[in-house]
Amino acid sequence: MGATKLSGMQKQVLSLYRGFLRAARSKPTEDRKRIETIVSTEFRKNSKEVDRKNFQYIEYLLRLGHKQLDQLKSPDMVSISSVKIN
Amino acid sequence: MASMAAASTSLQARPRQVVTAVKCFSQGSRSNLSFTLRPLPTRLSVSCAAKPETVDKVCEVVKKQLSLKEGDQVTAATKFAELGADSLDTVEIVMGLEEAFDIEMEEDKAQAIETVEEAAELIEEILKAKA
Repeated sequence: MGATKLSGMQKQVLSLYRGFLRAARSKPTEDRKRIETIVSTEFRKNSKEVDRKNFQYIEYLLRLGHKQLDQLKSPDMVSISSVKIN
Repeated sequence: MASMAAASTSLQARPRQVVTAVKCFSQGSRSNLSFTLRPLPTRLSVSCAAKPETVDKVCEVVKKQLSLKEGDQVTAATKFAELGADSLDTVEIVMGLEEAFDIEMEEDKAQAIETVEEAAELIEEILKAKA
């Protein structure tokens, strides 16, 4: 951050992150906290683990994220969970 | 004369902000929108473009968001990056500020924020447009 300029892809990721936090706001406090924790953990994990030059994979993650966000936005959806698959 | 005395006290109390403001001024690019809003004499409002209350509130939110300790120094000139915030943290700070002030920040402008003072200035701009 800071003086460094963000790439278009980084902006997309941050915008998606914002979208998730916005969507979480509309949920009850309990669910909201859980959603925020999961989302933030997931983003931070990927920010460390995914090679920043691996554009294809990042684009895939972005698409996946947008799909999940659309689902989360639905009022019926109260929670998400993360499953670790080895 | 009385106002002179008051002025010098206030300037001493916020030396860092004075320096910042002088710098902004010489660049001549920053708009100081809150001039007319301030109840203080015009000469004094040069010391900081954003109201101290706003700056304080921003500092509070930043501290809370980054889980900083009570003793940690956060001032108007503090850069988020100096506090160890990455770009994801900055998004969180902006979201926290939006909630605290009950406003919506534009994505482009929010992403350009680097310091507490810049955040405070943007917030006042939005609040002013809303009023």
